[in-house]
Amino acid sequence: MRAVTFLLIPIASLAMGASPTTASSSFDSVVKPLVSQYCLDCHNSSDSSGDIDLEWLQKRGQLELQDRATWERIVEKLRAGEMPPADEPRPTREQVTTLAGWIDQQIVSLDRDAKPNPGNVTARRLNRYEYDNTIRDLLHVQLRAANEFPPDPFGYGFDNIGDVLSLSPVLTEKYLKAAERISEAAIPSVKPVPSVAVRYEAEALRQIDRQQLQTLHDFPADGNYTLRVAWENAISDKSAMTVVWYLDGKQVASTPYMWTTLADRGVDTKGVRIPQGTHKLEVDIQTPPPKQGARGSSKPSIVRIQIDGPFEQAKREEMAGYKRIFFKGPPTAKNQAGYAREILTTLARRAYRRPVTEGDVKPLLNLANLVRSRGGSFEDGIRVALQAILVSPKFLFRVERDPPAGVEAQRINDLELASRLSYFLWSSMPDDELLMLAEQGKLREPASLRSQVRRMTIDPKAHALTESFAGQWLQTRDLESLTPDAKLFPDFDARLRDAMRTETEMFFQSIVSEDRSVLDLIDGRYTFVNEPLAKLYGIADVRGREFRRVELDGAQRSGILTHASVLTVTSYPTRTSPVIRGKWVLETILNSPPPPPPANIPSLDETRVGVSASVRQQLEQHRSNPVCAGCHSRMDPLGFGLENYDAIGRWRTTEGAVPLDSSGVLPDGRQFAGATEMKTLLKADAPRFVRALSDKVLTYALGRGLEFYDRPAIEEIANRVEQNDYRFSELITATIESLPFQQRSRQPLEAAKSVARADRKP
Amino acid sequence: MTRPLSRRTLLRGAGALIALPYLEAMSPIAFAATRRAAEKVARMMYVYAPTGMMPHAWTPTTVGTDFEFQRIMKPLEKFRNDITVISGLGNNSGNLRGDAGGDHVRAVASYLTGVPIKGREVRAGTSVDQIAARVLGQRTKFASLEVACEDSRLVGGCDGASCAYQTVSWKSPTEPLPPEINPRALFERMFGDLNVSSDPVERKNQQDYRKSILDLTLADTKSLQKTLGGNDRRKLDEYLSSIREVEIRLGKADSRSLDALPAGAGKPNGIPASYAEHARLMFDLIAIAFQTDMTRVSTFMMAREGGARPYPEIGVPEAHHPVSHHGRKPDLIEKLIQIECYHLEQFAYFVEKLKSIKEGDGTLLDNCAIVYGAAMGDPQAHDHDVCPTLVAGHANGRIKRGQHIKIEKQTPMANLHLTMLELAGVPTEKFGDANGKLDFLTGI
Repeated sequence: MRAVTFLLIPIASLAMGASPTTASSSFDSVVKPLVSQYCLDCHNSSDSSGDIDLEWLQKRGQLELQDRATWERIVEKLRAGEMPPADEPRPTREQVTTLAGWIDQQIVSLDRDAKPNPGNVTARRLNRYEYDNTIRDLLHVQLRAANEFPPDPFGYGFDNIGDVLSLSPVLTEKYLKAAERISEAAIPSVKPVPSVAVRYEAEALRQIDRQQLQTLHDFPADGNYTLRVAWENAISDKSAMTVVWYLDGKQVASTPYMWTTLADRGVDTKGVRIPQGTHKLEVDIQTPPPKQGARGSSKPSIVRIQIDGPFEQAKREEMAGYKRIFFKGPPTAKNQAGYAREILTTLARRAYRRPVTEGDVKPLLNLANLVRSRGGSFEDGIRVALQAILVSPKFLFRVERDPPAGVEAQRINDLELASRLSYFLWSSMPDDELLMLAEQGKLREPASLRSQVRRMTIDPKAHALTESFAGQWLQTRDLESLTPDAKLFPDFDARLRDAMRTETEMFFQSIVSEDRSVLDLIDGRYTFVNEPLAKLYGIADVRGREFRRVELDGAQRSGILTHASVLTVTSYPTRTSPVIRGKWVLETILNSPPPPPPANIPSLDETRVGVSASVRQQLEQHRSNPVCAGCHSRMDPLGFGLENYDAIGRWRTTEGAVPLDSSGVLPDGRQFAGATEMKTLLKADAPRFVRALSDKVLTYALGRGLEFYDRPAIEEIANRVEQNDYRFSELITATIESLPFQQRSRQPLEAAKSVARADRKP
Repeated sequence: MTRPLSRRTLLRGAGALIALPYLEAMSPIAFAATRRAAEKVARMMYVYAPTGMMPHAWTPTTVGTDFEFQRIMKPLEKFRNDITVISGLGNNSGNLRGDAGGDHVRAVASYLTGVPIKGREVRAGTSVDQIAARVLGQRTKFASLEVACEDSRLVGGCDGASCAYQTVSWKSPTEPLPPEINPRALFERMFGDLNVSSDPVERKNQQDYRKSILDLTLADTKSLQKTLGGNDRRKLDEYLSSIREVEIRLGKADSRSLDALPAGAGKPNGIPASYAEHARLMFDLIAIAFQTDMTRVSTFMMAREGGARPYPEIGVPEAHHPVSHHGRKPDLIEKLIQIECYHLEQFAYFVEKLKSIKEGDGTLLDNCAIVYGAAMGDPQAHDHDVCPTLVAGHANGRIKRGQHIKIEKQTPMANLHLTMLELAGVPTEKFGDANGKLDFLTGI
């Protein structure tokens, strides 16, 4: 059972250190009587309600390691006011604090005495993101085949957790289908792909009334494509306009156009050379600003786009995917038998991320030969063998070997380390250099590991850390699925959504590539904007879709908390939610997520907010209910601090007619007025933030939820970051050099299921 | 080759006209081989409505046969004699708090499993549809089809627990089945996910190669498994059983289902922009799957439990979940009723469709038992005590229809599931927290 909420215990109590002697002396005088008075009626050895029996505690006066997880649950329920139940006599607030504090201290001293344990990571199947990246690097084919897979389940805030990543028949079927699609893209048949026309309607893409439109499109082959756009509502004032096309964010065509008659409602490009693969295609109709005093405000709005092609298709021998596999060129009459073996050995070694054996290669060769025996070509045979590689568990799962019997923990081998590194930093397979070092057993030489980490961090593939780690940690990946109400927020469109995401990505990336202090995440006074975002932020003189760095004075914006992306994903479609925003701060910055609402208590009723009362007043009224107050008094005041930003992150000072009050208070009691002061306070508590961030990074790097025995590793990572000017690079290096990243224990400790299993009577 | 289909209906899909077989016109010849004439095939389905329903706008005020239809249920009024409304069933397991999870996540995962969830590890129970699928699915292409109109959240937790809980269907206590939301993907699964060549020789090759690949994968998985410890072995087990299932499915999928497609019929292009179109397209596909006996078991989620979908097309731009906390405000209650009624309208479309399809002496609806309901009661309270429930269809004439029945509050929902299993011809002794069956439903 993996059920440990890590770092529930305030860091402060760690720092203070809780001596067991103090604990035991306070036990008899304080804890024992409280437990007898409030708990023992139900949690005794005969009833042991909820499988919890506290009688033995009364006898022993201290906690035991195997009950650690259960004690965390107990303290959680105690703090949340769920226990004792509402219809039983309940302790006072002070008594709860005393009891919970005592348990905290006990847990801290348990952890201090626990022996080092690197933990055990369950075999991870590639998630969707890793699958696509791995295919890209393995075959040099740019397909987003995993878009067809069901969403990956999340655990501990990330989608790369081995324990949680399950596998269904549906996914297996899609693996098979993806393997066929990918292998056909990598090794096309000799026949050219037929030219077709594909349409995308603005209405279906939910991008109506816009001068821009964007979509993903599968371009089936390297070749020329004609890009066509149609619009309506054009005005015929003979003014010039330009239709600009972008492929994966880069301009590929620009067609000037002059309106002459109302009937002109479409324009085509000349053939545009586009490489095979799934690309993001955008079109933008650029019009001059309306003349002063011009009548009406009619603008062209795109109805559909159409993609015709491919024409003048490249020969398959010229395509990147083919060249990657057939690295000696097309087969000749003489070299076929040996060549097939070479090709499949190279492919399988890369795909399985380790040296291959005859047992790996022989069945693949047999498959290729079967195809040839049925009249297929050399390439056809390799294609089918490639399909088998792509559905093999050796490709789909990252498997590590347990230490041999009798050994509790040991270092993972170099090949396993290479995969851990590459999937941590790149979300993809090890490249040839990394794999070769690992095969030669040289990866762990001190100079070698450090220089590899440095090399990998500056490689463009390390953008994965931003996209995947930061996108999930900050929850900005959720932007894709959100639609703020179009009537209330007409400015929100696909382009602004992209801009929001890009801002946060570029900002995080700047911390990585400039090796800045991680504290800049909280209040770095610069950011990256393009025109749509600058308009939202009220920053003047920023034109066009290109992003540029701007310096900030910190009055309205600084750091991620005031990024529009974060403010939007923590809002409802029609309005802000201080509750969700507060929860976000607790989870992301303070690493202290509130427990879910207790049973049968309705979630906080924010919809009652009306014109007569502000959100704030309504929420304050709710917090008068003691059951809600436990958590909401921590969440809501943090959210209030961000009330100066509306549901898409625009600055405001009033809500409707009501002036906004953005003062609040941190869980530790420090008060603030507005977001800037809140950030100052959060930054002042740097140790806490650094530990929160280290916790998230280690979780992501390992692909497992953290356990209590990981706490020394977190402490060490955090200390190293603090001692090195909070540099991001130290966070990465310290994580990679930590015990849980370097080693593996046999199987997870089978933690005791409950404080008092029936067989554990005192 | 003679095309068994001469007519088709056109639906507007995402951005393109798509053609689907017009159901009634689908010649039974194409499927005669799959079904013996005398055999009465029972289909079981659960349609899930999220976030409870306004009790006063749902529950009929009188019991018995001549009850008046309240607002939410109004779209079904013309099918009065095809449905039975049951008041009093409670999703009691959803009330039990495990170690994590809010009211929503507990509601959805307990609904068809009859057990409380274990919050942090992803664990519930085997759901009623999957128990039925083990038997009813033996001779069909799909043991069951799970569909929905809304995906799980992309990032983060769902209501204090893993988002994996956001499904009603559980193949085993640790295997939640994620529903399919994309009509195109569903279509591909039904009519051929993989490319199928029109050349018979090539088709045979394709099948043989796939089989060889799957055999090799099975062997690889087994040999890899031998070297691994407990948790890793369990992960590989999931893959092993999935490959076996796909292998069986490929074996059953011959050219027949493709021949069933009309000439020129296209795939849906994606998810339609309009909710109603999306829901109806998914319902159409399930109707085809029932009609052609591709499956006999299905679950369908109208939207995600506790989800934030807005419905601007019916004048509700606010997210569903916050609206459900209506706080007794009349305007919010009104919006909530509109959403709930909107869901019912789509279901009524499905009922009508099933009723329009001839099967044997009667209609397809005659051979179905379909539950439409929610796993929570009053949206404001977020309780699970009296969950709105109705049963549509006749289950081969074994359902007593056209009535509203009131039973004791918090009668276990699992009692209904036991009854459904019996109606589907999969009699079962024990299920979840069931303490009996609903004899009134079958008592003719």
